[in-house]
Amino acid sequence: MKKMKTLYKVIEDKTITWFENSNEYVVLENTTADILKRLSQGISEKDIAEALSKKINVPLDHAEDFIEHLKKEVSEPNSLQKETIINDHRDIQKPKIYEFVKFYQINDINFKVSFLSETELSLIHPKFSHLVVDEVSNYDNEFEVFIANNFIFLYVNKSCIGSWSHKDVHFFQGKFSMELIQKIHQKEEDKWMGVFHASAISNGQKSMLFLGDSGNGKSTSLALLQASGFTCIADDFVPMDAKKQEVYSFPAAISIKRNSLETLLPIYPELETSAEFNFTRLNKVVRYLKPNTTNFLQHLPCHDLVFIKYQKDSDLVCKKISKIDAFQQLIPDSWLSPKIENTQLFLDWFSTLNCYQLTYSENEKMIAAVSKIFNNDL
Amino acid sequence: MQNNIKHNQEEITRKEAIKKIGNYGKYAALTALGTYLILNPQKAQAASVPSNPGTGF
Repeated sequence: MKKMKTLYKVIEDKTITWFENSNEYVVLENTTADILKRLSQGISEKDIAEALSKKINVPLDHAEDFIEHLKKEVSEPNSLQKETIINDHRDIQKPKIYEFVKFYQINDINFKVSFLSETELSLIHPKFSHLVVDEVSNYDNEFEVFIANNFIFLYVNKSCIGSWSHKDVHFFQGKFSMELIQKIHQKEEDKWMGVFHASAISNGQKSMLFLGDSGNGKSTSLALLQASGFTCIADDFVPMDAKKQEVYSFPAAISIKRNSLETLLPIYPELETSAEFNFTRLNKVVRYLKPNTTNFLQHLPCHDLVFIKYQKDSDLVCKKISKIDAFQQLIPDSWLSPKIENTQLFLDWFSTLNCYQLTYSENEKMIAAVSKIFNNDL
Repeated sequence: MQNNIKHNQEEITRKEAIKKIGNYGKYAALTALGTYLILNPQKAQAASVPSNPGTGF
């Protein structure tokens, strides 16, 4: 049997253990992780059980039983991969005519993106409409998006990247964004450490990530902060590179939900007019606020993770939280490179972070707290 | 009310990630060592899940 590669990282009073064959992170007690390490070094179960029995003062047979279970349940994770339905779309013909063709310029790179109909357009275009330029003949990249047989297809420079069913449309949008950042920052997928479901701002020297469940106010906070002297680096899709573990700019606009309008309209009156997209045929209205920068080449180090929450009438709460708690919330929401080298870099980077919880109802106090975190002044 | 429901759902999700090895009754130290948390990152890059996705394209 092929030996499984495992990484261990002690963070606070736990050991985060990563298994290469499943790209799974397991948070273990340090002693439990030590047992796994010893097992992988070939030390006999009997020797380990004896040591454990003495260390925590339990009968030897219980210690043996524990190690047996640990081996089966944790160090030999179920290798049966869930069967995925492979879409056989070899017969799919690309459309000859697209209803919408848009040209976008990001930094000095020109993209031609063709959408079969308003449905495809509505899934991508509003986020990037601030980057639209007049038609150019010498574009650098060509993206094509069309729905056929109830799947949405993405082609990049004539190659099929993939197809997704309606329930996986957020993975289609994620892949579109991933293809885009590879072209913008000229880094292939294996050069990225991960993509976080977060918002990112910078003070010019470094960046900070805002995380939290949908509806907690990540994008609203980002919009407020970019009106107060901070720079928007990314919203919803925050890429980080493996080499230097820096947050990279992602040029999409900030998605504004209806319930944030009251807060944001006084600062951004355009939300009522130009920033609103009304897809009448689809009965769908979305609003996007463009980022306050045109330099989408930026990449900055990040040392702070902030779990942010807007809560009506709440006093300001800004406190450090345990990294293990932050880890639990971060991982299920992130795409992390399955490459072992990148995972080691991710664990090393994560272990150096400061993690905070910030709950607020008054915008000025939130902005002041963010400044303090940037200045290590909390 | 809605907030409460959402909050409970979140707690349930996190509890589901907690696993326990075996059953060691009075040996609390073993129970503690056998309690662990499994976390799986997203299988692919994703955007936010749409709030009202509908049923088809």
